[in-house]
Amino acid sequence: MANKKTDKGVIAIFQYLDTFCEAIEKVRIRDDFTGHECFSPTSYHEIEHASGFGASPVRVYTLIGSLTGTTVGFGMCLLLDWDWPLIVGGKTAGIASLPAYVILGFECTILLGAIATIAGMLILGRVPNPKRKVLDPRLTDDRFGIFVPNVGPESAQAQILKELGAEEVRAT
Amino acid sequence: MSDDVIWEKTISDVNDGILINLEKPHPNYWFALCLSFVFVLIGIGFWAYQVTVGMGVSGLNAPVYWGVYITDFVFWVGIGHAGTLISAILFLFRAKWRNTINRSAEAMTIFAVITAGLFPLIHVGRLWLAAYWMVPLPNTNNVWVNFRSPLIWDVFAISTYLTVSLLFWYMGLVPDLASIRDRVKGFKRLVYGFLSFGWRGTSRQWWHYEAGYGFLAALATPLVLSVHSIVSWDFAMSLQPGWHTTIFPPYFVAGAILSGTAMVYNLVIPLRKMFKLEKFILDEHMEALLKLTLLTSTLVFYAYGVEYFVAWYSGNPYEWAIFEKRAVGPYAFYFWVMVFCNCIFPMLFWSKRIRNHVPSAFVICVLINVGMWFERYNIIVSSLVEDFIPGSWGHYTPSLTSIAITFGSFGWFFFWFLIFCKYFPLVSLAEIKLIMPKPWSPKKLNGGKH
Repeated sequence: MANKKTDKGVIAIFQYLDTFCEAIEKVRIRDDFTGHECFSPTSYHEIEHASGFGASPVRVYTLIGSLTGTTVGFGMCLLLDWDWPLIVGGKTAGIASLPAYVILGFECTILLGAIATIAGMLILGRVPNPKRKVLDPRLTDDRFGIFVPNVGPESAQAQILKELGAEEVRAT
Repeated sequence: MSDDVIWEKTISDVNDGILINLEKPHPNYWFALCLSFVFVLIGIGFWAYQVTVGMGVSGLNAPVYWGVYITDFVFWVGIGHAGTLISAILFLFRAKWRNTINRSAEAMTIFAVITAGLFPLIHVGRLWLAAYWMVPLPNTNNVWVNFRSPLIWDVFAISTYLTVSLLFWYMGLVPDLASIRDRVKGFKRLVYGFLSFGWRGTSRQWWHYEAGYGFLAALATPLVLSVHSIVSWDFAMSLQPGWHTTIFPPYFVAGAILSGTAMVYNLVIPLRKMFKLEKFILDEHMEALLKLTLLTSTLVFYAYGVEYFVAWYSGNPYEWAIFEKRAVGPYAFYFWVMVFCNCIFPMLFWSKRIRNHVPSAFVICVLINVGMWFERYNIIVSSLVEDFIPGSWGHYTPSLTSIAITFGSFGWFFFWFLIFCKYFPLVSLAEIKLIMPKPWSPKKLNGGKH
């Protein structure tokens, strides 16, 4: 992957999902397509499969966030009750009433887990990114795209994409 | 079910079909918006009156310290739960029909929970004190909140629910906002571009998005069950006869889903007509929603029966007295409205003809919402008005102020929901494309091997 992301290159627009997936499978193993990006209007599983993606690292964010949440939830209750012990229902003050604290631990788990998941989705997706351009408005509508950086419309890469079934190949 | 659905539209029609109506909604939209704003003003006016003059105008007094405002609070929190059930739980169950209504349902959840959040402040009177008393903030008295109290559990549960629903809803919106960004020009493009975080729809972005969405759905799922259970514990953790019963968590959750699914139906039916979405939100999808409504109605019916049986079987005279009074005492009207609207009328949904007859189904769903409001009123007021000691028995009628604020809350909810409809897509563009026929090439469609 190129270190400096650029929007100058060639974009190939595909209309059909199966043609697009076959193109991805052929193109992603080639060295001359290094740094390519694939676009789709929605998250078809066929594209994930064709791109060879396994399990997303987002799950690590979720796990760390949730465990932090459990710790914070229980910790907050235990610490603050130790600091200012309250007599509730005539029972001993400062007792660590874990059954009651389970509820807060649970809610904080969900809260911090969700926030961490969102953070993971944004960080890994490199979003927000004000620097990258929109290459073609149809890519969020009903067309798929493969973008190859730093090549021109007369290049070998553009020719290969045309042969793989792209309905349009142009410079960006 | 969705595999048998006949789609007249393709994925190429989705963005145009759904977004074109954002620009020019039906005139009824403007009428509805103005009407809801009028109700908002009425609600604000009466709330200002209450804060200035005092809580006596709400009608609350010994022994009924919880009345219409707590009813409204529980009602609105309950409405929100169906949205999360549709977005999160049905996502995990891979129920395809959910993709058409999940955006509206999620928006409904957000606005319902925001509306619910106003009510503890309205109910408490001196809202400027209540807001910070509920949160564990360091203060000069070195006092912390009581973490063993269901009211504090509520604070965390509802804040978590609002935050997670908001995040889930917004992440779902990001690709759709990018679709709008790519269609508009000028200042609008700047705004939608900002709101969509510069989403480009690369396969990596979608990969992480789908994974994260699945985790958010998994995290939101226990919230559907836990948040309304925690709200039910506001009552069940007390000793009041009629409140102190272990059936409350499942009873409240089932009731919440019932009122929420009925409210989704009530919102989506007129809006799909106003925004011409009938070819995207199909009749089959709405029918599936009504089946869910029927299911929860039967659960609620069963819960009412079990509650009655256990009250009698327990041999506790105070408990049984409350249940007797609910049916034949001074507040019996509320009880019977509740039973008919929540249990009897929804039984008509067993009939496929009625499920598919939109006007009848719409009316039944309105009645369900009325019944569910009356259910909370029935639970709260009938247990407080005549509890253990006859010497402390009293009576309660909703005052004009509390009714006006209740109507104001409906206005507030519909007002924000209508604003949402004008500027954001009512149907999730990316997700509806997933349940429509995939754009296979002619070679594949004509029987080529893949």
